[in-house]
Formats: sequence, structure tokens, C-alpha cells
Amino acid sequence: MSLKNFSELFGDLDSINSTNNKIEVLKNYFLSNDPIDNSWAIYLLTGKNNKRFISGRYLKNLFSQIYEYPKWLIDTCYLKVGDSAEVITLLLKNKTNSRKKKLSNISLNELLSETIPALSKLNEEEKNLEIKNLWETLPEDNHLIFNKILTGTFRVGVSIGLITKSISKLINIEEEIISHRLMGDFKPSIDSYEFLINKNINLQELNSKPFPFLLANTIEDKIFKNSINDFQFEWKYDGIRLQLIKRSGNVSLWTRGQELVNESFPELVEKMSHIKDDFVLDGELLVWNFKEQIPFDFSLLQKRINRKSPTRSIQIKYPVIFIAYDLLEINGRDIREIKLENRRIELEKYFSKWKIKTENNISDIFKICDLIFPKDWTDALDYKEKSRENNTEGLIIKKKTSIYSSGRKKGIWWKYKVDPMQLDAVLIYAKGGSGRRAGLYTDYSFALWKDKELIKFASAYSGLTNIEIKELDKWIRKNTIEKFGPVRSLKPEMVFEISFEKIQISKRHKSGIAVRFPRITKWRKDKKINDADSLENAYELMKKIS
Amino acid sequence: MSTKQEYLIRYKDGNLYCELADIWIDPRKPVKKALITHAHFDHFTFGCEEYISTKETAILLKERVGDNIKIKTFEYEEEFKINGIIISFHPSGHILGSSQIRFIFAEEKWLISGDFKLQKDDTCKQYEIVKTDYLISECTFGLPIFKWDESNKIANDISKWITNSPEKTSLLFCYSLGKAQRLLNEISQTNFKGNIYSHGSIHKMNNSYRELGIDIKDTIKIENKKKIDELKGSLILLPPSLSKGSFLKNFKNIQTAFASGWMSIRALRKRSGYDKGFAISDHADWDGILEVVKKSEAKNVFFHHGDSEALSKYLVKKESINVLLFGK
Repeated sequence: MSLKNFSELFGDLDSINSTNNKIEVLKNYFLSNDPIDNSWAIYLLTGKNNKRFISGRYLKNLFSQIYEYPKWLIDTCYLKVGDSAEVITLLLKNKTNSRKKKLSNISLNELLSETIPALSKLNEEEKNLEIKNLWETLPEDNHLIFNKILTGTFRVGVSIGLITKSISKLINIEEEIISHRLMGDFKPSIDSYEFLINKNINLQELNSKPFPFLLANTIEDKIFKNSINDFQFEWKYDGIRLQLIKRSGNVSLWTRGQELVNESFPELVEKMSHIKDDFVLDGELLVWNFKEQIPFDFSLLQKRINRKSPTRSIQIKYPVIFIAYDLLEINGRDIREIKLENRRIELEKYFSKWKIKTENNISDIFKICDLIFPKDWTDALDYKEKSRENNTEGLIIKKKTSIYSSGRKKGIWWKYKVDPMQLDAVLIYAKGGSGRRAGLYTDYSFALWKDKELIKFASAYSGLTNIEIKELDKWIRKNTIEKFGPVRSLKPEMVFEISFEKIQISKRHKSGIAVRFPRITKWRKDKKINDADSLENAYELMKKIS
Repeated sequence: MSTKQEYLIRYKDGNLYCELADIWIDPRKPVKKALITHAHFDHFTFGCEEYISTKETAILLKERVGDNIKIKTFEYEEEFKINGIIISFHPSGHILGSSQIRFIFAEEKWLISGDFKLQKDDTCKQYEIVKTDYLISECTFGLPIFKWDESNKIANDISKWITNSPEKTSLLFCYSLGKAQRLLNEISQTNFKGNIYSHGSIHKMNNSYRELGIDIKDTIKIENKKKIDELKGSLILLPPSLSKGSFLKNFKNIQTAFASGWMSIRALRKRSGYDKGFAISDHADWDGILEVVKKSEAKNVFFHHGDSEALSKYLVKKESINVLLFGK
């Protein structure tokens, strides 16, 4: 089985939009290739290798050095392509017409278990020569894969979920089971692949399955006609929704996306396994500010999500907490059909018991959510407006008599979110995007007035539609004042409504303020630049909040 | 070095213009006299008093816009004079009838490349190297990341793409004039032996090519009420304008692809919205442009059509060729 098959798989996955077709293509690949190559394919596609052998910059420099190619030209090409491995692949088409014998039959396994590991044993000069040699001997249609493996940039729109689904289809076993098997260290080998496609399910796998999640709807006006006493109020946290399952001694953490994330949060798994009872909890995972007893921003949580087996220091730097808001199963008894108010009683009861009875202190990593008790709906509105103070997004309102059903069912849970803060700002710089947005100006900087000067206050790149992006890109090219590398300064003319979640003083910025999660919410074509907001408006906004 | 005013050909209102002959090249606005390099619509506009082109371009134009235009035609290489300037058309290899245009005045030669390619294309005359002092070249694909594969390789990829999904109808989007005929010619030499349909606009151009002596495989004109089963496993050629909108609802179980040089870049391929992209172009790639610049022996080069910054810098630094900018 050759590397070529994998290159073709990569090309196919890249060109197919439909999820079902992707699954079909993957299934067929697994059926027609060796277990060892399949195992490597899974390893690469699921991003189990986050190791990069050399950086994109190194790759570009190496190409420039070997073929005496101007660096500025490679950089210009990069702006159009947005991916180092691909730029070099395209440029190599001009270079590798050598008559060297081609390695047409190299397998994925050979490349990954022999050729590339051998490279790392060489000194830099030998390594560079060997990469050149491989460029010239690998068939051209394998260059992209090779360069991507070298630079560790494997993104083809194949999630772990897609691999899970295709293996589930292949052997006709539920996805949750496959998910469980894909958890943990995946060492590519015939055995690891055979284990994945084993048709016999063991008990532990069965025990890890989560319940379907119940989701909240956006608030509806009619709810305000009801008595406030019919509802339970909680803060709406901006974390990761999790079902924390402990059955027969084993803890599993499931996200809403059916992903098992035990590996990212080992300290939580460890602590929870000390609790004597078995249970299924529904709740939110957050990085917690223990001093102020409020969550940190989601951005800190992101530092944990994608990091498997975090070091002790990472665990200390970004301490997580699981806040449970519901109990769904206790010691094997499914209680989802019990009313919410009664489930809450159970939750509180067990939580107090666990706090006292569990040997290791669990309260530094696990608590249950506090309830809020507004007097009436005006009071609820007040709470909502105050939610920024404790770094939450608003309120979650739950009907006390509701059962835990599945999906976005109406009339059970509602989210009552605080509105974002907004300012109208002037577009002053644009920068080329990368990846899918390569060749387009998609990273924008916005400014506010200070006297007669425009001062940069935020950068944003999300919020415009594809059509708007293209239109703006055209405008940017025609209205450039100056180019600094990939950045263009622009004629101040376009006004955009920028929304953000938080505003605070910052000494690092010229504007003196920093905002969180700025994004474009409207292209204000109706506004002239003189209508844009000033820094003073921003300061006022800040005062109003604190 | 001569200043902008003294150039024989310059930019005026965004179009190429020769003041001495009072003649425009591919103008995008109605003028008195227009030289037309080829019959693509972005090189032509209605309302000029007189058009001058090759014989093939004239026939294709009339087929597309009607007989109601006044065109004077010349053979390739045939020289004619306007206000003492000697003008002639030379094959540019872009599509059938496409030409470069050479101007000779007072011992000074100017060459407008028109849209051109050097790659093999059996549906039109091969690009002819023309020596010149001044070259005005297109540079649509003026970056070294553009390096075209042989067209038969692309045709084989297309053939494989169709035959690998026998239960699907394969819709290949391409320009109706030139690209479609070149693809038909190449695809008919592959292993794909199924039915090929083409949209009316393409069908019409196929017929014109045939009348002009180019051997193009016969295709079935796509009618609105085709039975869906009949189209399984077959190829349909369509103009890109039909890729968005309700036309696609006529089909079931389709896969789509776009044939264009831009499809060599993954980000553009992904953004295009087609399932697949085939990188085949009727424009020159980077090496093609460099070859033409060098072989034309031009001492001065202008670029238009496309972002020429990198190409210009490269020629100045690496090849010591004088690259000039048009005042717009």
C-alpha cells in the first residue's frame, strides 16, 4: 500500500463537502488499506501527532537556500496561498524534474516509522540534504503530504468525530464506543487498529456512554407572563458543557460534541474518582478565579482544551473547576424523569455528602451551581445586567417542574443573555488572511476618534459574510495608502459596528483600553467617519460597567 | 528614455490606446476604431464604429453578439497600415483566433501580447514568438506558484473523477468559448467514453469551432427536460454563471467541478464552492510569461491584467529587464 493512496484520500477528503461522503471515503480507505497504514492515517487525521518536525519558516528558508530562490518571492506567494507546506509544494513543481529514481512505492508506514524518524538523527546539514533528496525522489503528488507531515499542519476538515463515525459504520458499532476507544494515547500499530475495529464491546465501554444533552432556547417574551416562582435561575457560564460520568469506578468527561476529554483534564478525573457513589452530572467546566470566586475568560479555558496530558504547572496556572447544575443518574438509577426541583434537592444532598465523606478534598475542583432568587422579572433583568461583574454571560432560566429531555426542546430551559457592548469604529488597517482566507484581506484594525485623530482600539476578523469579505477586499485594494509587508493602511472611510464583551484599561495599547472578543456585527455603510465613536465614548462605557 | 507622452501605446481611461493611429486595443467603452485580440467578452464592448480582428475572432464574435457589427478582418502575419503605423496579428495560443498585435513605427516595435499561453492546445494556433522592443504583456498568473500540468494529465484526472462516481452526474464548469472546446478535445482522448452534454452557449461555440475546421467531439445539447437517469455517469459542460442559482435544481445526485488556473490553490478551491477544481488555464503560467518576455527580446516591458508587482521585481532584479509602469 503506497503513500499515494493516502495522498489521494487527503485530496478526496479535501474536495468533498458532504459529511456522509467523507465518511464513505474514509470507510473505503480503511477497507482497502493495510491495518498499519490505516492506523497511521487515523493518527495523522485526528491530529494525534501535534509534533512538528520543522517549522513552516524553516521549510521556506530551506527551499530558498537549496534552489537559490528569493525569500521575498516565497513570502509573496505565501500571502496568496496561506500555508507554508502548500507554497513549497507548488514551488517544487518547478524544481524536481531531476532524473533521480522515484520512490514510487514507499508506504505511509515506511515514511512515518522509518524515513522521517531517521531524519531527526541527522545534523542540520545532513537533514537539509536528505529533505532535498526526498523532494526529488518522492513522486510529485506526495509532496503536499510530505511537507505537511514535516510541518505538522494537518487540517483537512476531518475531525475526530468523523473518524469515529466512519469506523462506527465500518464495524457497525455505536459511535460512543469508538470514541471511547480512540481516547488516550494512540500509538500507530497493527494492534491499535485491530483494537479499534474489534466487534466485541467490553463492559467499561458500555458504561461510559453519556445521555443526550438538553439545550436551552433563546428567551421568549411569553415567559415574563408566568410567575417568577415557577422557575429556577442560574448564572449562564461561558465554559465547556460537560456530562461528568462515574460508573463502576470509571470517570468519563463528555462534551456536547460527543468528545471524550478525559485527557485534557486529568486532575478532574482523578479527584472525581474518589467519590464513593456512581453518578451522571450535567454541568460546566471553567477555569476558575479562586480569589474572586468567579470564572476566568473562556480564552484561558482554550489553553486547556487542546492540550492533552497537561503538565502540573499548566494545571496550576489554569485551574479548572466543574460546576454541576443537574444530576441525571445516581447509583445506576436514571432520574431524568423526575422534576427539576426534586433533582436539585438530590444534587444538593449528594454534594454535601460527598464534600464531607470523600477522602481527598474535592471542593477545589467541583461544586454545584449557586441559584439566584430574583423577586420579580424586573429583578431578574437587573441580575442579568449585573452578570458581567461575575464574568458570566447572563442567566439560565429553568422550569422547576420540567423533566430532563433531550435536544433544544421548547418551554424547559431558556438563556437570557446580556447584550454585547458596541462601538462604531473606522477601518484603518487590513492584513491578509491565512488558510482558507489566503489571498484576501480579512484581518482588520479599527479606530476611534481622539480629537481629530483616529486611534486604533481593536482588531477583528469575524462577523462579515463571504460576500461582504470579497466586497471589502476589493475596496481595500483600491483604497490603500501604504503597504507594510502584508499590512495595508487604508483611507479612513468605512465604518463598522464592533461588538465586544469586556472593556478595561490597558497600558499596552495606545488607546489606553483593551476589549475582549471584538467582532464585526454590522457594516455601517450608512455612516460617515465623523459619525464613528470617540475614545471618550469608550471610557464612558467602561465607567458605566464598573 | 522616452517619457510617458512619447510612448506609442499608452493607457487612457483604463484602456490601451495608440494615439498616432487613433486606435484602441480591446476597449471596454465604445470608440471609433477598436482592435480586438480575441472574442472573450471582457475584451469586447458594443457600440464601436469599427472593429478589426482576425478572421476567426470576427466569426466567433458575430456568432456571440450577432451580425450587427462592422468588422474588418486580416490573416495572421498580414500587415496593414493605419496612419503610417504597420500593424499585424500573430497567434497567441489563448483560444481560436486569439492574437498578439504588433505595431511598427519609426523602426520601433511594440507588441501587445493579448491573453496568451504556450501550452499545447489542438483547438487553436500555437503561440508565435514575436521579437519586439516594447512588450505589453498580460500577467494574470504572475507568481511562481502557478505551474501548469500537461493538459492531458488534467483530462485524465477529469476522466477519473467522472468514472469514479458512475452513479452521479458530473457537472464541469468552464468558460464557454475556448476552455470548453479545449477540454472536449482533451477529454475525448481519455478513457472516458460516456455521454457528454453541453449547455447551449457552449454547444453554439462548438459548432463555430467545427465550421472553422477544428475537430471537436460532438456533444448533446442539454435540454431542460432530460430524464435524470439518463444523465448518470455522464459529463455536462456548463458556463460558470450557472453554478449559482436555480439551474442546478434540474439535476439530482451531482458532483461539481471548476476548470480554471486559480484552482491550483487550495484556499481558492475551498472558497469557490465547487466540489473539485481542475487547474487548467488558457493563460500563461509564471514560466510561460518569463519565456515570452525573454524570447521577445524586449528591452522594456509593461504588465497589465493581474498583480504584476512580484513579477516586475523579479525581472528587474534577476533578469535586469526594464519593467515600466503605465500612468493610468
